[in-house]
Order: sequence, then structure tokens, then C-alpha cells
Amino acid sequence: MTSATLTYRHIASRTAVAILGGYAFTWGIIALGIALMYSAGMAFHDAEHLSYIIGLLVFLVAFLVAFAAQGLGRVALVLVGGGAAMTAAAWWVQSLIIGAGA
Amino acid sequence: MFANFRHSMAWLHTWCGLALGFVLMVVFFFGSLSVFDREIDRWAIPDTRFEPQPMPSFDKMLRPVFETMQPDAAARAATAPLVDGPLPERFDTPRSWGAYTTHRDPVLLLFAGYEVPGAKDHETAIYANRTVDPRTGEALPTDRLKLGSEFFYPLHYSLSLDWKNVGYWIVGFSALMMLMALVTGVIMHRKIFRELFTFRPKKTTQRSMLDMHNLTGVVALPFHFFFAFTGLVIFAYIYFPVTHTQLAPLHDRHEQIEAKETGLPHDRAGVAAPMASVDAMVAEAQRRWAAKGMGGAVGYLNVQHVGDANGYVSVYRAGTDRVQLTGEGIHFKLSTGELLREDPPPTLVARINEFLTGLHLQHFKHWLLRWLYVLGGLSGCACIATGLFFFVEKRKRHHAKHGVSGARVVDALAVTVVTGMLVATLSLLIANRLLPDLMPAGWPLRGAMEKYCFWGAWVLAAVHGWWRTASVAEGRLAPAWREQCLAIAVLAVVAPVLNWITTGDHLLRTIGSGYWPVAGADLFMLASSALAFMAARKLQARAARPVTASNVKLEAKHA
Repeated sequence: MTSATLTYRHIASRTAVAILGGYAFTWGIIALGIALMYSAGMAFHDAEHLSYIIGLLVFLVAFLVAFAAQGLGRVALVLVGGGAAMTAAAWWVQSLIIGAGA
Repeated sequence: MFANFRHSMAWLHTWCGLALGFVLMVVFFFGSLSVFDREIDRWAIPDTRFEPQPMPSFDKMLRPVFETMQPDAAARAATAPLVDGPLPERFDTPRSWGAYTTHRDPVLLLFAGYEVPGAKDHETAIYANRTVDPRTGEALPTDRLKLGSEFFYPLHYSLSLDWKNVGYWIVGFSALMMLMALVTGVIMHRKIFRELFTFRPKKTTQRSMLDMHNLTGVVALPFHFFFAFTGLVIFAYIYFPVTHTQLAPLHDRHEQIEAKETGLPHDRAGVAAPMASVDAMVAEAQRRWAAKGMGGAVGYLNVQHVGDANGYVSVYRAGTDRVQLTGEGIHFKLSTGELLREDPPPTLVARINEFLTGLHLQHFKHWLLRWLYVLGGLSGCACIATGLFFFVEKRKRHHAKHGVSGARVVDALAVTVVTGMLVATLSLLIANRLLPDLMPAGWPLRGAMEKYCFWGAWVLAAVHGWWRTASVAEGRLAPAWREQCLAIAVLAVVAPVLNWITTGDHLLRTIGSGYWPVAGADLFMLASSALAFMAARKLQARAARPVTASNVKLEAKHA
């Protein structure tokens, strides 16, 4: 084991990206999934459950990728940035649905 | 930072597995016990040792009981901060009355939810719970703890840490780490099929622990993955409260549309109305299920907006004949008994979700499958425990040579969560049989005393574990394991014997009359005692064996 190269800083940053980045990305997937599938005509709770099922699997993959990938910065950018973008998109879709229904 | 992909996966497996293995051990063990939570309840509350009962008459028996139910002091204390001003002495506006039973429950659980005047959020409700004997309507004493369904089961999913839901989050994260450990474990080993047939108990402790770790992990791999995953799905709304925060407007819109479509009013009308016969509605629901060729046992009965013109009754089927968590709910107008709605057949997504959650929560009636769940859960415990043992075995001599205490700390924690947890569980069952029926004045309630005995015994086991693992720091086997195995062997005989002495239900009687809830619990403990005794003997033989050079050979593959 090449533990000489493993510093606490490395481990802490990988763990932070895996947990926080993974969470942000998963939140985005779930929020956008619900908003899009509901707007496409799926029943609300169906959209919710399906998004949870997909989202949790995505979290698992994101967590593993955060440790497996070479460049941590890029992973962090994709997870946090992607999560934020999808969350924002979910807001936008929601405002369209509410606006259309009113 | 990691040399390669497999190295990074091995690192994750080792260290995250170690960090959360202790939590997972608790989750798997109490999950396994929760498969038989209702049966453990019967063992712990001898007054309820009778056959499961159907849902009793609402009009004659349940309604008068519901009308006397008021929230207890704990519910009042929890609700007080959610209200501007003081709470009323009595709550008069019932929002809902619910009655719940299963095919394994002789007793019936009732809940009455009330509107809370002056609540900051108008959706706030305060609940009163009561468990009754459905043959008479009499309440069970409130200081009795249902050890299975009210203690072991919450330990399984929330560690009983209710403050800010922190227990749910710890268990949820551990479940994610379980999934991670399964995936990384498969990546590390590759030769999955071979692991199924590899167990070399005669080799070194380290080698046989790794074999056992791989074997128990691989044999039940789909089980472990599925249960960790479905557990996350069940509580996903807690971990990702998207529809109650960011998408709350969308959720509210859906609820309004749904109330319009289903004809089931979301709110009270504010106009008082009498109640029609609920028994007649239940009979009509059963007639409709029978027409579809489905069994007609009622699992859950709910009366919404009690005493109001908008009131309605929902009758749900006990889904004992399928894996999915189903209800096939039928809804009636409370004031007239008129049919309002029959739930449509579930959509594909709903069926998938019901299957996933139903597979985990097992409301179905299938005793063999139930036992397979226990075995699956216990194989999970064995997998986690052997993983911890392997960690210690691999490092202890190296740590001893360099004066590092890591292996010893892990071994002491492993003693605490493996054998210590069993000591605590058995102590709880023994306390349940020994405590007086009514605690003397000034003492905590009986149910609370039982919990204190559980935690107290666990703390003692932890102290003993720490004290008697000192030899690990010198690279030797810890006597704590053998001693706690002996303690388990003794306690697991004491509990069934106390059950016999205090209730008269010895094994000849319970087996003879086919009363399996209690006979099964007793037999399971006696079998555990025998296993623990064998384990203690083996450990003694190991301790007597000298450490040879070949035992020390390390395996490079494991990080």
C-alpha cells in the first residue's frame, strides 16, 4: 500500500467531495427528475419514487467516482456544479408548471 | 493519491467499512430481530399471548375507545413548542382515527390525531396512541414496552436517536456505505464464484476470517444490496426532503388536484355531521375485494375529518398474500356510507415502489421467507464481524511491534458491538422477566427501566471489552471474546428459564400447544447459547495454540 502518498488533506478533500458533492448532485437529479417527469404527465408520487430510486443509485456511483477519479477538481466541479444547475432547472420547471396552472 | 483504481476501491472498502461497520452491525442485527418483532412482543408481554385477531367492530367497540383517547404528556411536550400560547386541556377536533393490525398481531394499535388550536403551521396534529385487546376493547398498560416493535425495530432504522432525526441520517449514510462496500468488495476480489466454495477453517485465524468474510458477503450479496438499497428508498423522503422544501409548491398543487380528482376532501367543511355505520362500509369493502378474488382481512382502517360533513372512511386490505405493500383502499362518505372512490390499480412505477418497500417491510405471510430474512440479516452480521476480525488479525502483530494501539481499539469496539450487543439484548429480556409488574413510586416506568438495563449492560460489556483486550496490544488473542461468549451462553439459558418460572410457559407447553411466537423465541435463545458455548471452547483452544511464523504472513492484496 502506498500510504506514504496518502495525506489527511487528500483523504479529507476526497471524502468531502464524495459526501457533499454527491449529495448536491443527487438532490439535483431528484428535484429535476420529479419536475420533469411530473410535467411530462407522470403521477406526482410516481415521479417522486422513481427519482428517489434513480437518485440513490446515482449517489452511490458519484461516491465511488469521487475516490476513483484522478483529478478531484473536475469531479467536484461536475458534482457541485451539475447539482446546482439541475436544482436551478427544477425551480424553473416548477415555476412554469405553477404559472401555467394558475 | 491512489496508485490505481483497484487500490482506491480497496482503500474505501477497508476504511469506510471499518468506520461504519460498527453501526451496520447494529442495523443488521436488530433488523434481523425485527423480522420477528411481533413474536418478541408476545414473549415480553405475557398478557398478549393469544392468537391474532381480526379487526373488531368499529361501531360497537372502537368508536367508544377512540372517543376517550387524549394525547399523553410526552406528546403534549413535543407539541408545545409548535404552538403560540398554551395547549388546551383537552383536544376536541379529531382530524383522524386509525386502527392498524397485521396477521401476526393479537393486539390492535389505535391512533387518534387532533387539530392543534393556535399551531404555527395549520397542518400540525397531535396524536394519542393506545394498544387494545381486540376481544374486549381494554387498553394494555401504557408502561409496557413492546420490546420487538417498539425497541428493537426503531434501533434498526434510527438507533433510537430521535433528536433532529440524527439516527436516521447515521443509518442512512451507513446504508450507502454498505452499498459502497459491496461494490468495492466485488471489485477487489473478482473471483466471486470461487469465494462461494472457499472456507479454510484450519488455516490461520486471519485466513479463515477472510474466507468467512468473503463467503458470507457473496452468498447473500443480492440480499445485502437489496436491503441496504430499499432501506434508503423507504426513508429517501427524510434524506432528500425535496418535495417538502424546494418543490413544496408543486407538491401542494398536486394535493389540491388530487383531492378534486379523488373526491376525498383535503380539509374539514366546518359543518358537523353524524356518522353512518362504519361496520357496514367495511362489509361493503370486503364484498368488493372478494369480487376481485382477493382476501378480505382489514389491515388498516382510517376515519378522516371525524364528525364533519367532509368526513370519509378509508378501508385498506392487509396485504398478506403478496410481497408488495398494497392496500386496495376503498373510501366511503362518513355521514352516509356512500362509496366515494375505489383506488385504481397501481401504475407500473407504483408497483415497483410497492415491491421494493414491501420486500423490505414484509407484511406478507410466508414463514419460510421470514426465516430466510433472519438468516440473510445474520449473514450480514457475520460478514461485518469477520471483516472487523480480519482488520485486527492482519494488523495486531505489526501494531504490537511498533507500539501502535489501533488494532486494540478496533478489537475492543468489535467486542462491544458483536458480543456486547448480544449481552445487552439478553440482559433486556432478563430484566423484562425480573422487574416488578408495577415499579415502586419514584422509579421510572417499567418500560424505561428495561431500556436502562439494556444500555447499562451494553456499557458494562464495553468496559469489559476494553479491559480484556489489552493483550491485543501485545499481538495476542483477547480473552474478552471468550468471556463474553460464555456470558451469552449463560444469559441465553437464563432468559427462557425465567420465562418458564414467571409465566409457566415452558417449551413442552408452548411446543405442545403449537404456540410458536414464544416457543420460537425460547428455542432461538437456547440455540444461541449452544453456539456461544462452542465458540468459547474454540477460542480457548486457539488461545492455547502457540503463535508460529507461518501465522504471521500477511496478505498483500488487502489494504
